[in-house]
Amino acid sequence: MNPGNELYMTVESEDEFIRRSVELFGRNGGRKALRLMFAADERETGAGFNVYAVFSGMGEDVFDILRLPIRENGRGPGYKSLTPHVPAAHWYEREIADMFGIIPEGHPDSRRLVLHGMYPEGIYPLRRDVSVQDIRKKIDLERPDTYPYMKVKGEGICEIPVGPVHAGIIEPGHFRFSAVGETVYYLDPRLFYTHKGVEKHFEQIGFENGVALAERISGVSAFAHSTAYCSAVERMRGITLPVRARAARTFLLELERLYNHVGDIGNMCAGTGFAIGYARGASLKERIMRLNERLTGSRYLRGVNHIGGVSRDVLENAEETLAEAGKIKEEYKSFMGLIAGAISHIERLENAGLLPGKIARNLGATGVAARASGINDDLRTAHPYMYYDELVFETYMRTKGDVYTRMMIRADEVGCTLAIMTTILKRARGFSTGPLHAGPSAGVPPLSSALGWAEGPRGSVFYFVKSGKDGLSPLRVKVRAASFCNWPLMPFAVQGNIIPDFPLINKSFNLSYSGCDM
Amino acid sequence: MIEKIFYNIINKKQARPLETLALSAGETELIEEARKKIDRVFGRSVRIRQVDAGSCNACEWECTALINPVYDVQRFGVDFVASPRHADILLVTGPASFSMALALKKTYLAMPEPKIVIACGDCAADGGVFKGSYAVTGGVDKVVPAVSRIRGCPPSPSAIMTGIMETIRKLF
Repeated sequence: MNPGNELYMTVESEDEFIRRSVELFGRNGGRKALRLMFAADERETGAGFNVYAVFSGMGEDVFDILRLPIRENGRGPGYKSLTPHVPAAHWYEREIADMFGIIPEGHPDSRRLVLHGMYPEGIYPLRRDVSVQDIRKKIDLERPDTYPYMKVKGEGICEIPVGPVHAGIIEPGHFRFSAVGETVYYLDPRLFYTHKGVEKHFEQIGFENGVALAERISGVSAFAHSTAYCSAVERMRGITLPVRARAARTFLLELERLYNHVGDIGNMCAGTGFAIGYARGASLKERIMRLNERLTGSRYLRGVNHIGGVSRDVLENAEETLAEAGKIKEEYKSFMGLIAGAISHIERLENAGLLPGKIARNLGATGVAARASGINDDLRTAHPYMYYDELVFETYMRTKGDVYTRMMIRADEVGCTLAIMTTILKRARGFSTGPLHAGPSAGVPPLSSALGWAEGPRGSVFYFVKSGKDGLSPLRVKVRAASFCNWPLMPFAVQGNIIPDFPLINKSFNLSYSGCDM
Repeated sequence: MIEKIFYNIINKKQARPLETLALSAGETELIEEARKKIDRVFGRSVRIRQVDAGSCNACEWECTALINPVYDVQRFGVDFVASPRHADILLVTGPASFSMALALKKTYLAMPEPKIVIACGDCAADGGVFKGSYAVTGGVDKVVPAVSRIRGCPPSPSAIMTGIMETIRKLF
């Protein structure tokens, strides 16, 4: 049972897989985006290992899902790498190699991605016959890490290692800069320090408990993640949500976008040392966080989403919420006025961290980063979900791709978000005050699968959920957070900039380490 | 278009930001007692090094909120520092992933004595929702000795502030 807009196609040969992928992706990217790519261990169902690639574009609400059954050869499972033809596949294929031991032959970068030195070679956590105890027994914290960083050789090249513990209150990651004077010649990021084995954990805890886990994959995208996870499971069970629940989810998704975008614009001020801008941004963000808490009981919008609906009526007392939204809008306008007048701040943003559209398309950029580099991609209009198909709104796209453009995309979107929130609140009186949950329904059918998605503040979030033979627990949950797509763009955006601009460029992308590392 | 709006609103009256958080009577008493100890033991100010050991980033944002104009924890002599060498307290978030274990241990070793470790958030206390996963040790305690725990997922900025003050009051 597959919901309507997921078109599955099994390709029998590796060459066919590459040919069809290139056809969907386009020679230079841009036709359809590679939304996610993952492997699944379906040996217990007799289907062996499979690699899936999901493509979709802006034009039509269809997901093209290619399935490549993996054949065992003498050296273990492997297939011809897709990366040389579809560059956006590069991190996905390295991840598949780490987690399943399925080797993409001919991949230009054969280094490990997810697993660090303490995980010995030959241990593949996501294979179904590998238990948690097996993995834990083999983890050896004394084992030296021998990750081969990219070396830049030549006169005057200075290597600067930074992290994983950074100077500020931020997440861990290691950055290896090769600099000439102050200019970054090459940046080799090493992430996955916060790898928590989330995908395997989903398989252990069952469908219902998965919601709480999804909310904790990326702290400030909690609601986008829980919505994407819930809608995947709801699609498998064939549940249709009451309109009030759909509108409530849409409202909270926009609220999440609002507090993130405002916080990000404020944080960019910290990147240039514009203290008053940072303080005003933080103060406004705090105001929105308190609205979050008042509406949902959680500053991070956790605990509201459930499979089948929402647990609280966030649209009641719409008048009160509307008044607060009005105050937030006033304060936001005044805050943006302050930023627009700070010429020294704006000048630092302009032309910093340029991300060319071609690189963004080829590497599969998503969210604000993509929309600032000329890719008009927004899941809210490409694949309308929840209440979005009943709303009329604008998506924004600019082409320059520098830090300033990324800030302006956020500024554009805040206006749109506030308008959507207002519209939903005004319509709320018209929604029936019936249940916030879909009625009782059958459980998850065995061996069914579905995609779930949401456009989070950082970009698209995708979940693929497949149920096991008993239908009680998932056989595979693939999580693709927005940051997983956008992290590989950083080295390109940083190249040629001075090192003191790195924090600023980093803040303009606002990438989650935890969402990427899982 | 937005640029045009900017120019129009620059000259208008500025909206009033949130005011600094007022403390409850209990919090005031706690902070006053803790401040006396901070004055005596730490020479008037206590410095915190925050380490993310695999957190989802919500705890980090709540720590960051502590230094915004609303909570403004710096008014009590508490601040976050860049180096463990300058830190009195190590505030650790996250379930201590195996990949971060070594970095966490090294940060702890780089601190001067007395080394005070506070586990911040449910994951840091016992692994939280990640308990039982192959990739996490299941709590900060498994890597470095924590003297206290701040519960919550994530704990609110006020909870982190009182948690830190409680720890200081309890220890000295």
